[in-house]
Amino acid sequence: MNPFIQYVGFGIVTAAILAIAAVGFTLQYAVTNVLNLAYGAIMSIGALAAYAANSAGASIWLALVAGAASSAVVSVVLSRAVFEPFRRRGLQMFGMVIVTIALDLFISNGLLILAGSNPFSYNAQAGGTYHFVHMIFTGEQLAVIGIALVAMVGVRVVLQWTRLGRAMRATAADENLARVCGINTQLVKDAAWLLSGALCGVAGVVLGLSVSGWTVSTGDGLLITVVAAAIVGGIGQPYGAILGALLLGVATSLVGGFFNSSYTDITAFTILILFLIFRPTGLFSGVVKRRDVVV
Amino acid sequence: MGSGWEFYLTLLLVYLGVDIIACLGLNIQLGLAGIMDFAFIIFQAVGAYVYAIFTLGPANGPGQGAGGQSYLWGTSLPFPLPYILATVAGVILAFFCAAVVLPRLRGDYEAMAFLVISLIATGIATNQVGIFNGANGLYGIPQPLSGVLNLPTLSYDWFYVGLTAVICVLAWLVTRRITTSPMGRLLRAVRENEQAARALGKDATRARMFAFLVGGGLAGLSGAVLVAFVTAWAPASWGYAESFVYITAIVVGGFGNDIGILIGVLLVPILFGELVRFLPAYGRSTWIGAAQLMVYGLLTLLFLWFRPQGLIPERRQRYAGGGEPSLRAGGTPSAPSAPSAPSAGRIRARLGPVGRLR
Repeated sequence: MNPFIQYVGFGIVTAAILAIAAVGFTLQYAVTNVLNLAYGAIMSIGALAAYAANSAGASIWLALVAGAASSAVVSVVLSRAVFEPFRRRGLQMFGMVIVTIALDLFISNGLLILAGSNPFSYNAQAGGTYHFVHMIFTGEQLAVIGIALVAMVGVRVVLQWTRLGRAMRATAADENLARVCGINTQLVKDAAWLLSGALCGVAGVVLGLSVSGWTVSTGDGLLITVVAAAIVGGIGQPYGAILGALLLGVATSLVGGFFNSSYTDITAFTILILFLIFRPTGLFSGVVKRRDVVV
Repeated sequence: MGSGWEFYLTLLLVYLGVDIIACLGLNIQLGLAGIMDFAFIIFQAVGAYVYAIFTLGPANGPGQGAGGQSYLWGTSLPFPLPYILATVAGVILAFFCAAVVLPRLRGDYEAMAFLVISLIATGIATNQVGIFNGANGLYGIPQPLSGVLNLPTLSYDWFYVGLTAVICVLAWLVTRRITTSPMGRLLRAVRENEQAARALGKDATRARMFAFLVGGGLAGLSGAVLVAFVTAWAPASWGYAESFVYITAIVVGGFGNDIGILIGVLLVPILFGELVRFLPAYGRSTWIGAAQLMVYGLLTLLFLWFRPQGLIPERRQRYAGGGEPSLRAGGTPSAPSAPSAPSAGRIRARLGPVGRLR
């Protein structure tokens, strides 16, 4: 058994989770222009809601839907109750990022108080292991990859072939121009929060599925890696985010496997900081213009 | 009545002093220069570590230092030197961070880059055991002059409160000197409208860099003052959320003036932080830390919404001459008589934070 190929296999599983979350994040940031650092906390809310449904007897698939729905609703509520009012009023000198990080601390520590720091795990029957080009996957891992593929295809269909998707892309490219063209940008933004929130919830649940025990802090722990995948791919580029997720998933898995497992996060953070310094617009320049983020 | 409350009081006073020094530093970065420094706590951390390794006995190799700890150097330097070195260490680390981030990034990306730097620093300090003893951290750190003075513990604690107060005043004098200098004026100008400052031929990046280094130095000093009193320091003491505590203090108190900073420190880490500690700790052990961070997050949101200028707003700057129209974002226009103004003494247009006319 070649360890290199096996680590690549683990990396693909991580990449699948990252891709779901990063596509949601990149969509959210591009359309709403909010760098939402509370995304990790919302991921945990989805995972918890799915756990509640799962332990109430629902199947894991139903729990997945419950997790996606609750994260979507929470996202829309937060945008309407917090982000949009702050954006309309304007912040005197602090960026929106301080609002999102304050919200993240509030929610994630609230969850910690409510749910405690004990690990949870889902009740999912996925037996056996599967071999695939010298890589071994468990049933859960294959399910995670499958869910990611379905989610990616779904996002592709929505963005490319629906009126809503076109309106989203237009809003991301230039909000004022989109409004001039008769697009109800507020509605489009709500839809973007809903869709990205749903992806966020799905990511939270599959993250929980892929590990043996997850806590309410697991989502927050993955947050910066998700942001890294989105930025590496270029904000507003779903394919870029998928590529970024693959790059980060495989890189962190290889470093963790061959070098030291405590360096997986540092690897992701270092890749992010290198991109921020040398290519802040990402591999594919998306909607974030150089002038918005750099001098 | 035992002397327990007195130990607690001295601890609180030292915390107060440390937080004031740190917030004065962060205010130069955040309040004066407008840099969203989410990595602030690592400069305090490096100051504390540097103080520790320059006061602990020699480290003869891994696990060979005082108390079987692993760390670099280990030179038992006498009293004022470790504090100075800690300050220098804060400046040096701030220089590297600033050199990477400040000339390139702005806005949300700048804040996130600092956040990521903070996380990387925690990861390295935790995993590279040889530098600062890894996740266990350093302990048994010597206190300054304790061998010379030979005081009983409580008297020494009061002596240290006095020392902290002296350092506080020094830090305040330094920041005072900067905020009232031409450099302070330039920094405010850069904060309000960087493009305009650049158009006037000012080197905005250098000014921001200067503010960042001063802030880093004060943070390093505050770390040394703290660690010399509590005598232990580990990665758990400086998670990225700790930077947010100081940011909350500045948001609450009001950026851009000393009284606001003092009130912010008194309210946020001291009053709210300690009040939460006295809540009945039912159930779970992680409850208190989580509740503190929840309170800080909520306070920031509430203040940014209801009173974004903080409890004590920044005072309007008055300059000699007084003939210039003041183009400050969000400020009331005060223009005595600009010759071309339509009606004498009234300018209706104001410059917003991005330089657009509102």
